[in-house]
Amino acid sequence: MLGKFAVKKYLFSKGIDEYLTDVYNAYRFALQFFKEVFKPPFHFREVINQCYEIGLKSLPLITLTGFIVGVVFTKQSRPSLEDFGATSWLPSLMGIAIVKALGPLVTALICAGKVGSGMGAELGSMKVTEQIEAMEVSAINPFKYLAVTRIVAASIAIPLLSFYCSFIALLGSFVNVHNLEATSFVTFFHNGFATIKFLDVFTSVFKSIVFAFTIGIIACYKGFNATRGTRGVGNAANETVVLAMFMIFIEELVIVQVSNWIRYF
Amino acid sequence: MNEPSDKRGIIVGLFILIGISILIAGILIIGNLHETFKQKMKVNVLFEDVNGLQVGNNVWFSGVKIGTVNNMEFYGKAQVKVTFKIETKVQPYIRKDAKVKISNDGLIGNKILVIYGGTPTAGEVQEDDTLSTGKTFSSEEMMNTLQDNNNNLKSITGDFKIISKKLINGEGTIGKLLKDSSVYSNIDNATKSLQQASAKAQQLIASLSTFSSGLNKKGTLANQLVTDTVVFNSMKSSVLQLQQIADTASVFISDLKHAGNNPKSSIGILLHDEESGAHLKATIKNLESSSQKLDEDLAAAQHSFLLRKYFKKKEKSETK
Repeated sequence: MLGKFAVKKYLFSKGIDEYLTDVYNAYRFALQFFKEVFKPPFHFREVINQCYEIGLKSLPLITLTGFIVGVVFTKQSRPSLEDFGATSWLPSLMGIAIVKALGPLVTALICAGKVGSGMGAELGSMKVTEQIEAMEVSAINPFKYLAVTRIVAASIAIPLLSFYCSFIALLGSFVNVHNLEATSFVTFFHNGFATIKFLDVFTSVFKSIVFAFTIGIIACYKGFNATRGTRGVGNAANETVVLAMFMIFIEELVIVQVSNWIRYF
Repeated sequence: MNEPSDKRGIIVGLFILIGISILIAGILIIGNLHETFKQKMKVNVLFEDVNGLQVGNNVWFSGVKIGTVNNMEFYGKAQVKVTFKIETKVQPYIRKDAKVKISNDGLIGNKILVIYGGTPTAGEVQEDDTLSTGKTFSSEEMMNTLQDNNNNLKSITGDFKIISKKLINGEGTIGKLLKDSSVYSNIDNATKSLQQASAKAQQLIASLSTFSSGLNKKGTLANQLVTDTVVFNSMKSSVLQLQQIADTASVFISDLKHAGNNPKSSIGILLHDEESGAHLKATIKNLESSSQKLDEDLAAAQHSFLLRKYFKKKEKSETK
């Protein structure tokens, strides 16, 4: 009899309800960002600080990984092209692969790991130690000061890093090609960029901005919603990395599809 | 935030999730929709050997992709029935007697079906028609042909080797030509003779040129003969008249001969009868003596007083 009149506690189940509520809150978080980003006051100094944190401090890691990606991808591609006696196409292949896909993707994945996790952990610890609430008490809009500045900084720094990563990867590819084919620097880059069109570069930049925005918004959302003390901080960092990487791959798929439409229209 | 009672948040979250899923799925699917919305028709072809053709391979017509291979199944004893879909907009260009062959998309590319040929008098290809197959050259056949060519080339170079050896040794006509100096001197003499003949021919041509220039010079007889139609016509008529005269003479002589052969005719009698001949001879003698006597009589008449005055007047007028 009691079961008949009991109030239904969950709409679907605890897990599904929590997940859907999370989606809704993330949507509201993103909406709030777009509301706040164009409203004064603008914290330019904080944006520059975050650009320094995200961009400049990631340079060594991006340089190393970019160079290795260039070398490894060239080494992996050579045998296939050698079968057809087409190793002279390596610069073109590398140009297309790195500028269109590898550069933005590798940068985004590294930034999701380094920047995203750092941002999520930082904001998460601020949340669990009630620093964010303290800022509210101090008449500072914590969302604007902490989240908007970080997301904007990420959206500026990560595309620049992506360009840098592409250049370093091409440099790594050049080193490998030069060693084995004695191709000159000018010839390599001339052939490498010969097949790249404006649409490719535009897509690459757009992709990097979308990836950066995704990393920033997920990191900030997870940090702002961290709970359960230090464990929650760890969870926020971990979830940021996992979700950001997942979203990056989904976005990559969608953007490639859309860019191909535009290319063939 | 994760309150279970926040139904609005859950429902909105659900809709956002569904919306994003639909959007992503739509973007991924719509990429191929321009192919889906095209009107297509099925056409079949039977091959003995599809040579690695696969479902999804492209169909080309005049170098343009017009469809894809839709299905492949075994047919009859060991044939393969290939069904392919082509755009209906190319239907007017593909005839019922068009042929289909398996080719390659580039040197190392995928297999493709190529539709070619067809005569304008044959009708348009229709849904579910079966087109005939054209001759396909597999890479194995090409290699076999190349091998045959190589063998031919080998035997040709072998022959050339023998010929060149003979040439070096001065054997055969060409070998002697290369080695024997007397052959060279003969050819040299022949060349000189030819040069002389050529010089003479040149002179002849020069003479002919002079002659032809004379013919072309206006006012000369030769030029008039060649160019003046009046002279030509009068010559033509003269020749015709001569011809007629010759014909008449010929007839006359023929008649005369005929009459001469006939002993009863006057001429026949004159020619064949001795008595008549003797009479004729005597008559001529009489005529001769008569004319002599008449001459003497007329001379005597000149000295008569009747005619003397007339002859003196005539003599005076002649002396003046």
